[in-house]
Amino acid sequence: MANRKKKPVIGSLQPDVDSMLDWNTLTNDDFAPASSEEKADFIQQRKSVSYWSDAWRRLRKNVVAMVALGVIVLLILFAFVGPMLVPYGYEQRNLGAENLYPHHYTLEEQEQYRQATSTLDPQEAVEQARAEAEAKGEKLTSREEALIRAKAKTGGEYAGMSEEEVYAALGIHSHPFGYSNEELERIANGEKVFPHVFGTDKLGRDIMVRTMYGTRVSMTIGLAAAFIVLIIGSLYGSISGYFGGKVDVVMQRIVDVIYSVPEVLVILLISTSMSPHITQFISDHQGNALAEFMRTIGPNLIAMFIAFGLLYWVSLSRIIRGQILQLKQQEYVTAARALGASGGRIIRRHLLPNCIGQIVVTTCLQIPSAIFLESFMSYLGVGVSAPLTSLGSMCRDALSGFTTYTYRLIIPAVIISVMILAFNLFGDGLRDALDPRLKK
Amino acid sequence: MAKYILKRVVMAIITVLIVSCVTFLLMMSVPGSPFASEKALTPQQQATLDAKYGFDKPLPIQMVNYLKNALHGDLGESLKMQKGRPVAEIIADMFPISAKIGVIALAWAVVVGILLGCLAAYYRGKWVDSLLRVVCTLGISMPGFVVASFLLILFCSPVGPELLKSFELTAIFNPDLGAKAYFMPCFALGLYPMCYTARLTRSSMLDAINQEYIKTARAKGLKGGKIIFKHALRNALIPVITYLGPLVAFTLCGGFVVESVFSIPGLGRYLVQSITNRDYFVIMGTTIFLATFVVLMNLVVDIIYKLVDPRIDLTKGE
Repeated sequence: MANRKKKPVIGSLQPDVDSMLDWNTLTNDDFAPASSEEKADFIQQRKSVSYWSDAWRRLRKNVVAMVALGVIVLLILFAFVGPMLVPYGYEQRNLGAENLYPHHYTLEEQEQYRQATSTLDPQEAVEQARAEAEAKGEKLTSREEALIRAKAKTGGEYAGMSEEEVYAALGIHSHPFGYSNEELERIANGEKVFPHVFGTDKLGRDIMVRTMYGTRVSMTIGLAAAFIVLIIGSLYGSISGYFGGKVDVVMQRIVDVIYSVPEVLVILLISTSMSPHITQFISDHQGNALAEFMRTIGPNLIAMFIAFGLLYWVSLSRIIRGQILQLKQQEYVTAARALGASGGRIIRRHLLPNCIGQIVVTTCLQIPSAIFLESFMSYLGVGVSAPLTSLGSMCRDALSGFTTYTYRLIIPAVIISVMILAFNLFGDGLRDALDPRLKK
Repeated sequence: MAKYILKRVVMAIITVLIVSCVTFLLMMSVPGSPFASEKALTPQQQATLDAKYGFDKPLPIQMVNYLKNALHGDLGESLKMQKGRPVAEIIADMFPISAKIGVIALAWAVVVGILLGCLAAYYRGKWVDSLLRVVCTLGISMPGFVVASFLLILFCSPVGPELLKSFELTAIFNPDLGAKAYFMPCFALGLYPMCYTARLTRSSMLDAINQEYIKTARAKGLKGGKIIFKHALRNALIPVITYLGPLVAFTLCGGFVVESVFSIPGLGRYLVQSITNRDYFVIMGTTIFLATFVVLMNLVVDIIYKLVDPRIDLTKGE
């Protein structure tokens, strides 16, 4: 039977299996039971992947988020390590180095420039020309004299040109980094001078160091505010969500009130009315560690932190409340309650760890908004107080002379934008990594 | 519905009251008399002034009096910046300028934002979407003063390109120039809301596009544009409307910076100036006015929200 080949029927849909029967070349040995070593080879021990390493694995694949993380690390280095490397202080006024551009011309080039644009006194110019003419045996007409006089008055052939244009006309290109003339002389004498990479401001303060300190202030505020928000928001939200009922209603009405008032207005108000109190406190408690700390960071910043503590937790608390309302219906919460766990324990041990992803993401996205707000306040002049600086107040200072010293406005503005952008992108990436369901 | 509106109105009134009381108490807690300025006053003068402004009465009575007067539109007088001028008059004088800029900024931000959001959702995953995402993320990462600074550099500084300078925009606001004067402030103010609206519209649009009724519309053979604007957008707009309330607040406060940058004689700039000058009645009056305004706008937006989407029953479960 088996040897008899079936004739293929044209148009039949049945597959021709006869040829396939020969494929089986397995011998009896192949069906012997596996030895224990062979069995052991099949069991692969994989480390169990924790929540965080899983998230990290996803995050690592997200190029944008990783670049953002890199930028954040660079900015942190710039802000916290940078000032140690630069020998200038943020308040230090470098005499003789006021209003430097972030580029310079060497001393010889400056000499060339002076010669090119130097103008004789009109009277001298005329006399010089007259002497020259007499040497040739000619006499200047009064018309020629007037021309020479006019030319000398307007500053020769480079009249009406800006400094850069004259340099360009002379074929001289500027060199990067700012040096004052005195510093250039010191370099010529073999001394090593640290350049003013971003130039200096009108008081001779190094702009790069100030930018570093400004970045540091912004970062610190962002992180501190996020921390305050994290603590208050998760506490408030979880209590409101877990206990529900009347507690929830009252707590949510308070949230509604806070939510409908513009924060900026309240922060302006709080910092105005708190600053005198804080100043008073500082002067009353000279030498006290807390007062000293407050003096370093300034009354306005303290007021800003208070305002953050009072207002900014609202959105986080809402998110956590929503999560907890869902989670508290789960069986494990019922089980914990049946075992006699207190409300606090259930919140701490069971509910909050289960919405950790949301908490981390919201806290992380809080950082850029705090930085945003700080720069806003500093820009209006109610943020960081002098001599401490911030990127916002640097922009504010730069605005008055922005046509001449454009770089002073561009540098802090770009840095603050890049910082907020990096934190936003990283927060977005973190959200995708921690909660892939939210990804759109 | 009526119950819901009533509830919201009561809530709004309570909010305004709380804000006013807190503002008043905070301002009154500031140490030192508001008159303590250049020259020392004799006790006699001090007492007269205190009596004139009611500072000699206990704090709760002062507060009630202040609120009572505020209800009648009397927010006190400026003590320093425009001595003796009623705060309400100053507000009435300056708010229209701020409001005009705010409305223009909001209008372009919402319209362009929704359009760009639809575009991004329609071309999801294509280069248009990616480009818009980059632009919008950039837009929400730049504080208003940074946008304003870049505009100034582009349009008014020697660094900027010649083409842009030929528009002859001025760094200082000049209402005589008409539309030209409003371009930079409104652009700077509206960029953030525009980008935010675009992002919001995109994500809610994507939700809407995946619904069954869109499939039905497509099966009927409708064109892409018609599906987007006639079917999907109506539902996609609802989350955008909820955002309008915070948007008004943002534009109002963002106006402070924009007005400061371009020296616009608006209320925001005046408020900031009165803070640096410690002109307490002006700060108090302006804050209460602006907070009330925002609370009212939130109320209006909530009611509109309710009207637009009959599915949401906000009274349920409360």
